[in-house]
Amino acid sequence: MTITNSLLKVRTELEDNLRNLLGIPVYLIELDAFALPCGCSGATINIRGFTVDDIEVFEEHILKFLEEATLKLEIQPSFLFARLIPGTAEVASLNARMLCDSCYRDFARGEGKQPRPDIYILKLEKNK
Amino acid sequence: MPAMKLYVPHVGHMEGLQKLLADPSKIHSVYMAGSPDYIGTGRTNLSAPTLESIAEQTEYAHEKGVKIDMVLNSSCMGGQQLTPEGYRAIGWYLDRLNDIGIDSLTVADPYLIEMIAHEYDMETVVSVLSFVDSPQKAEFYEGLGADTIVVDPVVNRDFGKLEAIRDVTSGDLKLLVNEACLYQCPFRYAHFNFFSHANGPGPKPNVIDDYYYYKCLSLRIRNPEQIIKSPWIRPEDLSEYKHITDMFKIGGRTHFVEWILNNINAYYNESYDGNLLDLLDSIKDLKDTFYVANRDLEGAIEQWEKCDKNCHKCGYCKRLAENIIKIQTEDGNKKLSSIRNPEDI
Ligand SMILES: [Zn+2]
Ligand SMILES: [Zn+2]
Repeated sequence: MTITNSLLKVRTELEDNLRNLLGIPVYLIELDAFALPCGCSGATINIRGFTVDDIEVFEEHILKFLEEATLKLEIQPSFLFARLIPGTAEVASLNARMLCDSCYRDFARGEGKQPRPDIYILKLEKNK
Repeated sequence: MPAMKLYVPHVGHMEGLQKLLADPSKIHSVYMAGSPDYIGTGRTNLSAPTLESIAEQTEYAHEKGVKIDMVLNSSCMGGQQLTPEGYRAIGWYLDRLNDIGIDSLTVADPYLIEMIAHEYDMETVVSVLSFVDSPQKAEFYEGLGADTIVVDPVVNRDFGKLEAIRDVTSGDLKLLVNEACLYQCPFRYAHFNFFSHANGPGPKPNVIDDYYYYKCLSLRIRNPEQIIKSPWIRPEDLSEYKHITDMFKIGGRTHFVEWILNNINAYYNESYDGNLLDLLDSIKDLKDTFYVANRDLEGAIEQWEKCDKNCHKCGYCKRLAENIIKIQTEDGNKKLSSIRNPEDI
């Protein structure tokens, strides 16, 4: 399967799963694979109709769906987070990122779920 | 042939205009943004045409028998319009537009409306961003010298208000048919002020997320009945408005020409067979999520004509939404209730 076909398939499955979980027509506006100059790579899922409250209530399920989805894109689901519009309940995107060493140090140093007002960490596997 | 004047969005470059006016017979006037260096607009701009380009496009439209309107409807200019430098710069720009032969200017700021009405022969149009939703405001803007008022769509389904506005105005009224903001949208002022700064003279804000737009989509996704409540006017229902006006404006100058042409055909023919969301401007991102068969809305106008908009008592739009709004999924369009717990509805 080409990368774009995988993206299409994962987009639809994840959207279906979230809709069924929450009972509202959450909308995955775009699913992108990315590679950054620092060496990080991963996927960004722009989402609408999805709030921090949804994450807090269904975190376990959402994490599971997200892990499944990222594995299908051959992304190690070791760092998963939501990007929020700071100061609001709105989630702008869900993200899976394979961290480069330098970004890993930045994130691993932080404490708690929200190291920054625009980030809600669903999962960050610490290196041994 | 329908007796109506259609005011049509134009993205702002010559190529777009040529496509748009391939058949100019249905179009009374096109409107476009000018250069954001002088006055911005209350919406996203795709282009910032130079004066040379505006002149060339005006000549072309006039050859085709179509009028040109420049939209200068910043809802906030940060006070620059009242400084000596601002006054001079705006005056210089308006002089050029006047020399070019622009037919009308659509403006939101009362100060600019009065200034243009006093000092220029170009027709002065009160923008939808002046929020004229009452006969009192309509009288006020006419008193400033405005020739035409684009009525705030919030009253598009309030015929008492529309008739009262019509009764007090001697000038022209225009209705915006497909904007689709939330009914009584709480974001309008803040959102248009933000756009005005982002699309006006600098300094421009370096914005990461358009909170207002995200929230607007979110509210509809979580409550799809909001899509029904938005005060758009179906092409089929234009006939209900003929006693108010024959001037109808189509929103959407950030869309492809094909999208605009589809809208022109729908409103000119007063008929559309397809997804209502194909026609709506501000929530275009939802057209792949929701399917609202336009024909399923037949007759809803009769309810809206008599409705007092106390949604919590009425519930008509909510019931309609549950019945006709479909969710688009990989395996076809499904009813809302297929993903919703019926107890939540
Ligand atoms: Zn990195
Ligand atoms: Zn401002």
